[in-house]
Amino acid sequence: MSSILESVKDALIFLGKSLFSILEALLFQVIPKPQKNVAGEIVLITGAGSGLGRLLALQFAHLGSVLVLWDVNKEANEETLQIAREAGATRVHAYTCDCSQKEDVYRVADQVKKEVGDVSILINNAGIVTGKKFLDCPDELMEKSLDVNFKAHLWTYKAFLPTMIANNHGHLVCISSSAGLIGVNGLADYCASKFAALGFAESMFIETFAQNQKGIKTTIVCPFFIKTGMFEGCTTKCPTLLPILDPEYAVRKIVQAILQEKLYLYIPKFLYFIMFLKSFLPVETGLLIANYLGVFHVMDGFTGQKKKMQR
Amino acid sequence: MNAVADTAVFFGKFLYYFLESVVFKIIPKRKKNVAGEIVLITGAGSGLGRLLAMHFASHGAILVLWDINQEGNMETCRLVKEKGDVKVFAYKCDCSNRKEVYRVANQVKEEVGDVTILINNAGVVTGKLFLDIPDHMVERSFLVNALSHFWTCKAFLPAMIKADHGHLVCISSIAGLVGTNRLSDYSSSKFAAFGLAESLFLELAMLRKSKVKSTIVCPYFIKTGMFEGCATKYPLLLPLLDQEYVAQKVFSAILEEQVYLFIPKFSYFALFLKQIISAKMMIALSEYLGMDTCMTSFKGRIKAEEEQAETERKQQ
Repeated sequence: MSSILESVKDALIFLGKSLFSILEALLFQVIPKPQKNVAGEIVLITGAGSGLGRLLALQFAHLGSVLVLWDVNKEANEETLQIAREAGATRVHAYTCDCSQKEDVYRVADQVKKEVGDVSILINNAGIVTGKKFLDCPDELMEKSLDVNFKAHLWTYKAFLPTMIANNHGHLVCISSSAGLIGVNGLADYCASKFAALGFAESMFIETFAQNQKGIKTTIVCPFFIKTGMFEGCTTKCPTLLPILDPEYAVRKIVQAILQEKLYLYIPKFLYFIMFLKSFLPVETGLLIANYLGVFHVMDGFTGQKKKMQR
Repeated sequence: MNAVADTAVFFGKFLYYFLESVVFKIIPKRKKNVAGEIVLITGAGSGLGRLLAMHFASHGAILVLWDINQEGNMETCRLVKEKGDVKVFAYKCDCSNRKEVYRVANQVKEEVGDVTILINNAGVVTGKLFLDIPDHMVERSFLVNALSHFWTCKAFLPAMIKADHGHLVCISSIAGLVGTNRLSDYSSSKFAAFGLAESLFLELAMLRKSKVKSTIVCPYFIKTGMFEGCATKYPLLLPLLDQEYVAQKVFSAILEEQVYLFIPKFSYFALFLKQIISAKMMIALSEYLGMDTCMTSFKGRIKAEEEQAETERKQQ
């Protein structure tokens, strides 16, 4: 009898929580969700030397946070530091760090802890893409993709999460990708790495939740291609549904999601619908839709950052 | 007018495929004949790998068994030979080592022939909170569960494409679709394996009329000893799966050339829900299904063997 009562109680709790969250979601469609104040928070951004990382740094500079910028490219990182200072940031620190090397991550993390303090917002943003077909991609390049795009997250978590837990205060941000939700042809290694990053961030979220570490927040971002040069040459067939995103727009949405402590952010919104369809449509119909949207040919014109480096 | 024609064709095809899938839910799909196919199974020394080997053996396939555990692998070999006149080749291989994978793959190509069905099944699990897992074990999880798939596919896919005949099978996991407590390293590696398999499926689909098939399998916990000690809250919805049942389902899916296989069927629904509900509801649902407590009593394979050894020692 008691186990049946337990089950009923559990079911009621579940239904109760569900109802509450539905009402809450409806409410926040009408009134804007509160955004937290991040002035004084120590924000660490990997891959801050360019693209999304640099724009995120600028945003957080405007918000009054303390910036810790990591990038493997020293010059670009210093440039971001300059730009952030000009934007009004009073405390900015730049470190050269190769995120694909575990020892480097730990070494620089220790430096940060000594020289700056406890990182409270960790943004794992650093990423590379090879853009080659699976059989044409050299093994070393694939391993590098995985090291930078995913394994770096393991080491940064290991370096900074313990202190966040001790302070019961922290925010883990994972910049994954739409390619972390669905496979893409021509991006096998990138997809595997972004899937792994998403899975890891999600598992860690469940872990912190199960451990009742209420002060630790997680945000997982899955954007479609962003016009930062990383995916130079990529095309989209349906710019209204799946546009190559404007970087300013993407960054605004990401920062908003962080400030609202949102768990998932898919950009553009059409991705939510795609994932919904994928979860129940038969494979052939899914392929049909993908073909219609031109998803199979997005990588055909890919050139990437190469052109920039040749200058 | 072109756009109208395109859209009409699109909707026509959409309806056709949708109806086709409904039909196949009622009448069983045709199963392909695998007699004479060269089937390579990683992690064949135990659990799911061993059972799949036996299924393929009973259907006349030529077996290539890989495992890091020589003993277990030879035992599978012996069990398979009992099925009758079967050609089986066993190799010791540490799938986490790229060079070893390529070396043994070359041996296989010389001694057996071109692999036509590749089953990436080898897997390890740690089962601890992330911060308690030593770095080298996190890396090992990823090397065995995900990176090994890269190397085996690189080794055997070119021949499959050339012959326009082959089948890539990826044994991922439900933990490769949803993050799980105490399985951060395992989960992320299974996500990676899924992502790779899906990308390869799409790359092959783009090669126009490619006869190289893909199957991606995501089972819930299977009672093979790998997840010894795990508990499930609602056995009706998410049961700890019987390994024979899973092996049978996986084998059927391969023969029917099914692309995705989630076991149990409830997972399709749970994942559908995940896409439409908000984060808070997802948390409530995970709590309700016991996803946060299922790994709390995890012991795993080594400890189960240790405990058995202890009991045996005490009995002596």
